[in-house]
Amino acid sequence: MLTCREMSELGSEIIDGHLRFSTRLAVLMHQRMCPRCKLYIKQLKLTAEVLQQLPLGDESVDSQAILDRLRTPDR
Amino acid sequence: MVDEQELVKRLRQGDSNALETAIKLHHAFLVAMAIPLVGADSADDVAQETWLKAFAAISKFEGRAKLRTWLARIAINEAHALRRKRGRELSLDDWGIDSGSPIGSRFNQQGGWNAPPSQWHHDTPEALLTEAELHECIRKHLHQLPGDQQSVLMMRELGGLGFDEIARALSLAEGNIRVLLHRGRQRMHAMLNHFEEVGTC
Repeated sequence: MLTCREMSELGSEIIDGHLRFSTRLAVLMHQRMCPRCKLYIKQLKLTAEVLQQLPLGDESVDSQAILDRLRTPDR
Repeated sequence: MVDEQELVKRLRQGDSNALETAIKLHHAFLVAMAIPLVGADSADDVAQETWLKAFAAISKFEGRAKLRTWLARIAINEAHALRRKRGRELSLDDWGIDSGSPIGSRFNQQGGWNAPPSQWHHDTPEALLTEAELHECIRKHLHQLPGDQQSVLMMRELGGLGFDEIARALSLAEGNIRVLLHRGRQRMHAMLNHFEEVGTC
């Protein structure tokens, strides 16, 4: 039987689908009985998705300076 | 929302407006990804070199990966080239050592939760990302992560690179990369949990 601490350690293996069959069964059994771990794993997945969708665009970047370097013939 | 296929098509045609759009979209990411590898002083140089190489090679970009992923690969090569040139003054030797669970204190001796996660007000990434203050908070906390976790999170989550190529890029085993990714996600989860509980960064 997995403890909640062990479940938290397996978190990314769970959301990335990297678990072996026997561990996957143990995880499923734990999650069925433990809403706290179910919530933690759900939120960890949401955290990963937020990072994947995070726009890192920056309107203030001096794109003109970079374009000028691209046009410099001695480069 | 920028149509990436259209943007790449225009980049191939040498459209400087398209290049400007691409720079505004991805330059900050390239700098942020390079910081743990070469330091803050040289990260912008890496990003600039990346644009030079990318623009020269845009005809080779097949569009199978996202543009950001393709740029990330070039930036990693540029960062390595710069590290070789500068004698690797920034050591990565202690990278990949597991710092342990950042939430260890939230469990009791029996391994049960004594401080479980709270319910969040938002339950989709889109809903969370509508909070402008949260964007800034995420960026701040990303930069506060240990260098190895920061690098892996940047390359995997934001850059979309595979575990195998991240492992090669950082000269670590894939198992190490998975652990670093997990630790980084746990720390970012703790940050989001705090934001959802308190409403501020």
